[in-house]
Amino acid sequence: MAKIFWVTCPQCQGDFYCHSEELRHKKIQLLCPYCSHRFLDEESPKIVE
Amino acid sequence: MAKKLQDFFQNLRDRLPNDLLTIERAVAPADYEVTALLQHLENEQRYPALLFEKPRNLKGEPSSFPLLSNLFATRRRCALALGMDPDDERLPLSLEYARREEKMIAPVTIPVREAPVKEVVKRGEDADLYDFPIVRHHAMDPAPYIDMTPVMKDPDEGFYNIAFLRNMVKGPRRLGIHMSPRHNWQIYRKNSERARPTPVAIVISHHPAFYLGALNVSPFGVDDYGRVGAIMGESLRLTASETWGDDFKVPADAEIVIEGNLLPDVREVEAPFGEFTGYYGPQRVRPVIEVTAITHRREAVFQHTFVGHRDNWVLGGIPKEGSLFNLIRGIVPTTKAVHFPISGCCRYHCYISIDKKVDGETKQAALAALAGCDFVKHVIVVDADIDVFNEQEVLWAVATRLQGDQDVDIIKNVKGNTLDPSQTDSIMTTKMILDATRPVGRPFAARLEVPKEALKKTKLEDFIPPSVLNGLL
Repeated sequence: MAKIFWVTCPQCQGDFYCHSEELRHKKIQLLCPYCSHRFLDEESPKIVE
Repeated sequence: MAKKLQDFFQNLRDRLPNDLLTIERAVAPADYEVTALLQHLENEQRYPALLFEKPRNLKGEPSSFPLLSNLFATRRRCALALGMDPDDERLPLSLEYARREEKMIAPVTIPVREAPVKEVVKRGEDADLYDFPIVRHHAMDPAPYIDMTPVMKDPDEGFYNIAFLRNMVKGPRRLGIHMSPRHNWQIYRKNSERARPTPVAIVISHHPAFYLGALNVSPFGVDDYGRVGAIMGESLRLTASETWGDDFKVPADAEIVIEGNLLPDVREVEAPFGEFTGYYGPQRVRPVIEVTAITHRREAVFQHTFVGHRDNWVLGGIPKEGSLFNLIRGIVPTTKAVHFPISGCCRYHCYISIDKKVDGETKQAALAALAGCDFVKHVIVVDADIDVFNEQEVLWAVATRLQGDQDVDIIKNVKGNTLDPSQTDSIMTTKMILDATRPVGRPFAARLEVPKEALKKTKLEDFIPPSVLNGLL
């Protein structure tokens, strides 16, 4: 699998992961799969990569 | 008479009456209720097909479309789908697929007015994906997903390609789509380079032989409508689409077809999605389909597959067994069987049995499998006395006929599968060949065998009463 990074939704605190090459530091809003909140990766309270 | 899903239901009820379970109680597919039921059944190792009569649609209302689930979860049902005896579910099913897959049966076109899939036509704003009982599968999926077969047409040569691809519901007429770099992706790439949209028709439900045919492992350029016909054993009936007319034809006997344009210049976030590997594919930036029309039968059934479970695995495995059997047998004529076991998601592990005549044939068979299907990651080749459909026997051969320093080959930097979580590169993977055959060039130990004569004359029922025998563990 491509390299991934885990993020935490700043709204619901749910954790999920994204494709690093396509979404890390790309200024693209991520979509929380649990609460549908949209946020930038840098807004995540925790990032594991 | 053209094959239809409704005919298969009747066949299933007649031949395997316990295999189709009708659920009368209302269910909410978008709230995980369908997959929760499937998971409960799987935990008990039960795999019936489920027909939900009262699913809710994405508006939370009772849907007019019953929902079909788990149809492909057993090889017995797949054998029946190809018109075979369900008891022929193992090697005979693989070989029958292989036999059919060597041919093409050209499709025929029928007028729109005669096509069952055109009984109801909705265009533009009238087409609404939210009318369907679309399933949300696993906890990290961001939305309900359609997980059936988009059809695309090559812009240069005009052949059609069919593949199972996930479609994230993003709005009443908007879908996300994920494509690995295979055939449909090539078609999309060609159109995108010319800044053109790619026409897409998603075939939501059809006779199960259609889907078994759709998963053939033919090279890019083979017309899938013709190959599907060969697997179905009859010409696939096509009809003009609503959106592109005769320039793009759709299966006339499908229950439901969703038409749309795959946009060349739009990318949006999509996923995570619970994939066939048993893991989630990561959130990515993926293309988008704008839906232009929905057509369906009046009493249409909406179908999904339980991705990452047997429904999805078995369906993917059988076509690969047939296709690779033909390919490998062309190189190693003594090839006996090819099997994609559940343990490898019916994709990553490939077991091959050959009646080896000279050392080296094992490697030829294995390399053919690796070249023929990029999903294949680990190939185990065994002798003809091993039943590749019995994983215990295959692993016994590995335990007793293989030396790690002599019989294992590692091949690095081969195109793999982007969804394999163990891959450290996004595209490339490491393949492994395990030669669990006995060597030809040196004496080898004999396998245990109770004398055949003794087995023949000594009957269990002569020594143990049937009432006791039937109660034995």
